[in-house]
Amino acid sequence: MELTTDILKNLIKSAQMAIEHEIGCDECFDELHELAEMELAGKSPAEAMPLVKDHLDKCGSCREEYKALLEALQNIENGQK
Amino acid sequence: MINWFKRRRNKNTSYDTNEEWVEALSPPVDEQAVDVLRKKLIQGLKPALHKYVDRELDQFVEDVAQDALLKVLDNIDSFRGESKLTTWAMKIAVREGLTELRLKRYDDISIEDLKPEDGSREVFSLTVASDETSPDRSLHESQLIDKVMQIINEELTDKQKKAINALMIQGLPIPAVVKLMDTNRNALYKLVHDARLKIKNKLELEGIDPDKMLDKL
Ligand SMILES: [Zn+2]
Repeated sequence: MELTTDILKNLIKSAQMAIEHEIGCDECFDELHELAEMELAGKSPAEAMPLVKDHLDKCGSCREEYKALLEALQNIENGQK
Repeated sequence: MINWFKRRRNKNTSYDTNEEWVEALSPPVDEQAVDVLRKKLIQGLKPALHKYVDRELDQFVEDVAQDALLKVLDNIDSFRGESKLTTWAMKIAVREGLTELRLKRYDDISIEDLKPEDGSREVFSLTVASDETSPDRSLHESQLIDKVMQIINEELTDKQKKAINALMIQGLPIPAVVKLMDTNRNALYKLVHDARLKIKNKLELEGIDPDKMLDKL
């Protein structure tokens, strides 16, 4: 198994970004509906919920779900007008 | 009798408030509210999921909305009102849909296919490629690689090595690793977080500055 320079860089970066208290996917999910409404109301996610934002930055699956949620919500709001 | 009163009272309401929603979706369930919510979910899911679904979007979205509605009804007690009920329900529906799509994507792949070709033993004994394969590798780089390998091999548990290897070295997607390791996404995230933290702390302990390390690579 070859450890190339690129892999090594990613490994170091991902270690470097680690902070003591990171939330997992479940805790992130628990807050997601609240964050989505805050963001749609124009608040900065990083200020409103830093730990959730941190998780979204680091977890592609949760980020994918969050983006899809925002898209879905924007669509039902537009549909009501 | 109670059921009848409730249905009558809710007739023609538009479920504007969370209180109205929660009451309508708590047993005995107001079917009209379920229908209104179903339509909303479908309306939101279609544009959010269309890029992931190559055919029969309508059918897929309807199935997802149905599964999500059952979860919403089952968990209505846990809704704390931090957002609109429809936002909370949409969150459940979106996750349901994407989870289903991810499962489909990896359904046909057997665990055997996901294992590295040279056998699972390799997962636990990460080795560095010999210098012959990378003649350009500097001495400094080789030392860094040795150091990181040493930390991985000495500090991480077998499970953590397996996860780091699958995700970062082999570059397998998360759902594939979840399946390979017979775990769930949350547990995998926590396992890898712990591993990343161990590597970070060990580097610090040895006086190695990751920024400087990265600059030199
Ligand atoms: Zn996550």
